[in-house]
Amino acid sequence: MEIRAASLTKTYGALHALDALDLSVSGVRVLALIGPSGGGKSTLLRVMGGLEEADGGSLSVNGVEPGSKAAALAWRRRNGFLFQQFNLFPHLTAHRNVTLPLEKVHGRSAEDAARTADECLDRFGLTGHTHKLPAQLSGGQQQRVGLARAIASKPEILILDEPTSALDPEMTAEVLELIGELAAAGQRIILSTHEMGFARAVADHVALIAKGKVAEHGPAAEVLEHPKVELTQRFLSKVMKFGTPHITGM
Amino acid sequence: MSSRPGERRLLFDAVVGVLLTSVLCALFWWLLNSMDKKWQWESAWSYRVVLWEGWLTTLGISVAALPGSCLVAAVLVAGSRAKLVSVRWITRGFVEIMRGMPLLTLIFIGYYLVFTQQRIADVLAGLGLGSKMFAGIALLSVFTAAYLSEILRGGLDSIPQGQIDSARAVGFDRPQVLRYVIMPQALRRVLPALAGQFVTLVKDSSLLSVIAVGEFTYQARAYNSASYSGLEAFVILGIGYLLITLPIAWFAHWMESRFRYQM
Repeated sequence: MEIRAASLTKTYGALHALDALDLSVSGVRVLALIGPSGGGKSTLLRVMGGLEEADGGSLSVNGVEPGSKAAALAWRRRNGFLFQQFNLFPHLTAHRNVTLPLEKVHGRSAEDAARTADECLDRFGLTGHTHKLPAQLSGGQQQRVGLARAIASKPEILILDEPTSALDPEMTAEVLELIGELAAAGQRIILSTHEMGFARAVADHVALIAKGKVAEHGPAAEVLEHPKVELTQRFLSKVMKFGTPHITGM
Repeated sequence: MSSRPGERRLLFDAVVGVLLTSVLCALFWWLLNSMDKKWQWESAWSYRVVLWEGWLTTLGISVAALPGSCLVAAVLVAGSRAKLVSVRWITRGFVEIMRGMPLLTLIFIGYYLVFTQQRIADVLAGLGLGSKMFAGIALLSVFTAAYLSEILRGGLDSIPQGQIDSARAVGFDRPQVLRYVIMPQALRRVLPALAGQFVTLVKDSSLLSVIAVGEFTYQARAYNSASYSGLEAFVILGIGYLLITLPIAWFAHWMESRFRYQM
């Protein structure tokens, strides 16, 4: 992946969610955004995913400007997005959650979409749950359906916004494991996470976002083990204080 | 043995149901018979054609005004969500004026101000829509639409932003977001209120008798004054309206259970 952000700005009223953010990375397979809550990670992901238009500055991801209105819809269709709160469609079964976008957005036939959905849901251990409504599934299962829905269309980039923040440790582990498998299979991923161990294991590049800016970024091992900036050092020592007990061993 | 308490409860429930129904029926029967009056159902029977035509007209008005009101409501909802502030304000004002006036007033003002205006009447007559019945359907549609639009607006606004985000993220365009994600959820939520409004529409059509639309109430009153009958006409009216409104309520309940899901 190649990401170029220059003076990227996004404000909500008086809040500067992104405050002239600069970031330039290339040749990255998995990029992890870490940092304090409210620092701008989600906003950056939403702008990169084409869900939100930036107010100023420029951004290009793999040569596309997702922040521009004209390109945003096509860009969203090329990529997958997973939310912290699952956001499955509650009136549709797990299976239909996956097939509906395949049919209506990607123009696949009903049989073809059903086959793909079966494969994806199977792969994430959801056989036997496919005809349940989201409310009948556990949080972990819902997030796995969300993941299946996001990857069903073979996205160029998978964008994950704190995919495990709403899950308990056991479910967190099972979802992280699946994301790890996707990354190992070559899926390009941009994610925000509070799971430092997971970031270390899966990401090849890490950026610390705070106060709407990139405080530090670089190869995962470097940033997480030998942070140069004081802000990063403080943040890491805080989140590592009690260890991270539920990290998958990858 | 474990099912005994359940069975006993069911039996108790059935007994209470039968008792209550009997008491209510007996009370109603007693009221009917204790009146100082002889019921004259024979004269009602001789006016059956008049009443039947009236009932059919009411059914026709309801069947036409139901989609008509939905159509106008859709326009009002679109107006209330328009990008232009002026359009939003005008829509808002229109809705509030419609909801703030008694239907009777609207029917009089609307009919005599708009539908009897010579040019408008000529144009409508040219289109084959010059009848009082059409005027009635139009006025009823607009009046009901004001209420429907507020119900729908509330339903649409109740869908969390996360659903819209998620729908956009999977690649739906704006119409698709509305069609596949927002509308199904919003409609399910407002179904009971919508059904109530449709039932009200059917009953409200009785007010069209004031501009001499030959609907059920109008015909029943004609029969009433021609035959000097008393309450018979109103008993028939009550039953006649229930024949239209109860199926709507049943249908709404069926839809509710059909599309039940939890958030």
